[in-house]
Amino acid sequence: MTKPVTVTINRRLVNAPAGELLIKTAQDNGVYIPRFCWHPRMNPVGMCRMCLVEIQTPRGPLMVTSCTTPVSDGMTVDTTNPTVKKAQEGVLEFLLINHPLDCPVCDRAGECPLQDQTMAYGPGESRFVEEKRHFEKPIPISELVMLDRERCILCARCTRFSEEISGDPLIEFQERGNYTEVNTFPDEPFRSYFSGNTVQICPVGALTATPYRFRARPWDLTFVESTCQHCSSGDRINLQSSQNRLLRILGVDSEPTNQGWLSDKCRFGFEYVASPARLTSPLVRDKAGELQEVSWGEALDYSGKALGEVISRSGGRAVAGLGGARGTNEDAYAFSKFLRSAVGTNSVDCQMDDGLDPRLLSAIVDRARIADLESAGSILVWGPDLKEEHPTLYLRVRRAAQELGAGLVVVHPRGTGLDDRASVKVTYQPGRGGEVLTELMDGNGRMAEAREVLSNGPVVALLGRPGYGESPDLAEATAAFVRSLPDATILPLARRGNVFGALDMGLSPALLPGRVQRGTLAAQMLADRWGELPAASGRDCRGILEGLESGDIEAVVLVGADPVRDVPDGELARRALEKAGLVVAIDQFLTDSSRMADVVFPAMGFSEVEGTVTNIEGRVLKVNRLTPGPGQSRPDWAILSDLAARLGVDLGLVSAQQISQEVEELADIYRGVNWERLDWEDRDGIVVSGDLGYVPVFSHVASVSPRPGEMALHYARTMYDDGVMTRESPSLRPLAPGSGAHLHPADAARLGVGEGDSVDVTSVSGSLRAGVVIDPTVEPGVVYVPFNQPDTPSLGTVLGVKVSG
Amino acid sequence: MVEIRSPSVRRGWSESTRARASEIVKQYPDPRSAVMPLLYLAMAEDGYLTDNGMREVAGAVGLTPAQVRAVASFYTMYKRDDPGRYLISCCTSISCMLLGSDEVLRAIEEESDVTAGETDPEELISVEHVECIGACGGAPAVTVNYELIEGVTAEKARELVRWLRTARPDAIVGAECQELFGGRRSFDWGPFDRDSALGPYPAFGPLGTVSGPSEDQDG
Ligand code: SF4
Ligand code: FES
Ligand code: FES
Repeated sequence: MTKPVTVTINRRLVNAPAGELLIKTAQDNGVYIPRFCWHPRMNPVGMCRMCLVEIQTPRGPLMVTSCTTPVSDGMTVDTTNPTVKKAQEGVLEFLLINHPLDCPVCDRAGECPLQDQTMAYGPGESRFVEEKRHFEKPIPISELVMLDRERCILCARCTRFSEEISGDPLIEFQERGNYTEVNTFPDEPFRSYFSGNTVQICPVGALTATPYRFRARPWDLTFVESTCQHCSSGDRINLQSSQNRLLRILGVDSEPTNQGWLSDKCRFGFEYVASPARLTSPLVRDKAGELQEVSWGEALDYSGKALGEVISRSGGRAVAGLGGARGTNEDAYAFSKFLRSAVGTNSVDCQMDDGLDPRLLSAIVDRARIADLESAGSILVWGPDLKEEHPTLYLRVRRAAQELGAGLVVVHPRGTGLDDRASVKVTYQPGRGGEVLTELMDGNGRMAEAREVLSNGPVVALLGRPGYGESPDLAEATAAFVRSLPDATILPLARRGNVFGALDMGLSPALLPGRVQRGTLAAQMLADRWGELPAASGRDCRGILEGLESGDIEAVVLVGADPVRDVPDGELARRALEKAGLVVAIDQFLTDSSRMADVVFPAMGFSEVEGTVTNIEGRVLKVNRLTPGPGQSRPDWAILSDLAARLGVDLGLVSAQQISQEVEELADIYRGVNWERLDWEDRDGIVVSGDLGYVPVFSHVASVSPRPGEMALHYARTMYDDGVMTRESPSLRPLAPGSGAHLHPADAARLGVGEGDSVDVTSVSGSLRAGVVIDPTVEPGVVYVPFNQPDTPSLGTVLGVKVSG
Repeated sequence: MVEIRSPSVRRGWSESTRARASEIVKQYPDPRSAVMPLLYLAMAEDGYLTDNGMREVAGAVGLTPAQVRAVASFYTMYKRDDPGRYLISCCTSISCMLLGSDEVLRAIEEESDVTAGETDPEELISVEHVECIGACGGAPAVTVNYELIEGVTAEKARELVRWLRTARPDAIVGAECQELFGGRRSFDWGPFDRDSALGPYPAFGPLGTVSGPSEDQDG
């Protein structure tokens, strides 16, 4: 896009960047050209012919498809003259020949581009008297998507999305001519993590989503924009409800983050909000050891008294907090303030043993923005499988490599969703990351090519912990090395919904709100507001769990935390909670952890509270409220504030918005970030920066190998697992892959097992039986087991496991 | 209740077919360009294009089975139904039509009692009409198992069907059929030479190191 050009559209002069597509230029200048196949985020194909306009050429007027015609200087365009009108009517008449008149029973009616454009541009009457074409009415093409082929107008938006954007073309045009249809391969369903996007962009009702079909009419929906909290990318979404029930989520096209796309987890993972299993009343354990419903007053009195006793007996440092990454910044701030000023402890961790240094995550120097991927010369991805844990970020990296020409180096213990676009893919045995890093730094042998790719600046590195077998220090050492690459920026990866917001609010032992380190001048200023800060340094998640087990820590407050299922060493968490003198849980569900609590407070959550979140690049975004919380549930901050009052401390928190103002006043980097801006002119969010500029330190990460007779365990998360949000969303629950032991064919042969057989995988902390999956993408000697699957115990953060047939 | 068809039993290609597939893939700068010849290979492997064959092709060129099926289902010459032992294809495009292919097709249908597009219950004979097969000079043209017979009349076509029924030849040899049932040829095709014959799968000419399909490749 170079010099601007001048074009005349409908006798009006407009300027546009040279090479821009005419349909877009027109739209940006207030002239809407009807279209079906063109989508601003995909390459044009000119298939539907709806966007025909007339341009003047030296040989006279010419009809062209405006979605495939770039503007050129002096171009004269007419989008409304009788010829164009006739063409539009003609195209619509043809499209409607085979389109059923089932709008009254079609989910799309009321928001259907075909319906709308027929009203606006179509012939008033139909001349078609023949029999229409018939197909079997909707057929499921996956667990989530239904296809009604009669309605399809063959615009290829869905198929192009699958190929161009998500990279899993499981649907394609089949057959030919009048029989053409979109379909899957007969026995290979459209099981894409991104399938819901095709439903959103289908211009008719051909693709519908099972979770939403026949639930509501578009004109009955109330909606509000918000931010998704399933992962830390901060995807913008539109929440839609009818009769106070959340029914649908659509992606909002937000340039800096998701660009309109969502993963299916993000799109359909809201059903848990209305689950009958939601907690509606406070619970306290009675004499017989059962959790009983009690009033708020009783529950608060009980927990206030019990906590107070621990504090007066053993001091605030005998209390710890876990969680806080699932809620809003306002809730996280309240948690931080509660623990530090009402309880007096620095032992708090929102990352739940994912293991990366909080300063690395939220305060690293040269922190990248997601948008840096667009201009990257090369990209290094060494961390979790983005497709599983950061789905929309995965789409952005894919786009950079596929459409924008960035070189891509992927380092991971097994195949990842990006491999087909990687210039270089390095697979290695978990535990040997240190060696791989040394090799990469030397750049010899098999790494020469990787270094060659990475010599193309600007380099964007996405770094995190690929699996629990990998040392958490590896990401930091890699970050230190990456800084020597040309114009390098680093995006540290952590997946929990609002983990970056929670860290910014001080939910880690070392950081206070505003990315302030303990013991600094800024910390002193905070103390002026909060009162004296606890002096003793705090423990992180693992330290807290070990402290609980040994009795050094007596009480723990869980905020939206299920350590038993969610930390890699679930058995440790179970023992810790069993030993704990007092467990207070603020949660939406009775989880394996909150079930062990002495008091459980019912919390409001997603779509029920208003507030802000901070995404992976430090972008603050607004989350909004659309539906009421169930029963007597209340927001986290209000519960914590009441609990503090029972301890005799007034946190001074009166509303989420007031908390947000308090954050703005008190945390330098959040200055100027307020709800008004985020609700209106800055709906795409505001990036908070001005960090303490944490410089990653290079350390030599020793390689570890499993003991003889053991295999190296790659223990990593999948998109769908047994997390409570997936488990309580009926549409997603069946999609969890279940426990599996992925073995290299050579190992399977050695063990004498084949696909579908079962093996026992045993570590020092647990054992599970899993079906064998033959997976040539893992190295020989490695077994990959998906983390936290339904009904599977945890294997812990171990490297070596025994696998037996 | 959403029911999704679960994967059918997968059966891989033999080593030799795989080897041949990778030879073919090597002929192209971009593996996916090899889809069409590989589909013929898949047809040769199973006698027609099975789901399994398409899946193997997909694996060989790095596409998804859905993408391969998109190509396969666009072209009528990729047969996705199991044809009978003898597939009679009657051209009905313009040159053949002007010289009487309609009668030829009708004769074949009547004599075999198989309507175009179908196979007899015995699975011996399949009949289809096809678009121009490039033999306009020898119209009306018919192929049996892709072996060409030119200058066919309705009467000869009936004889052909009867012959297939009774003689049940092991292999269809174009030259032989032409002798028995053909008429005027478009040009002199020269003496029949088995080694240079392309067989039923036109993409398998002497192609680099790739050998044509094995001799018994007629069913
Ligand atoms: S299913 Fe919808 S998006 Fe896909 S080609 Fe048909 S009309 Fe277009
Ligand atoms: S929008 Fe231009 S041809 Fe479909
Ligand atoms: S028209 Fe029959 S072969 Fe060309």
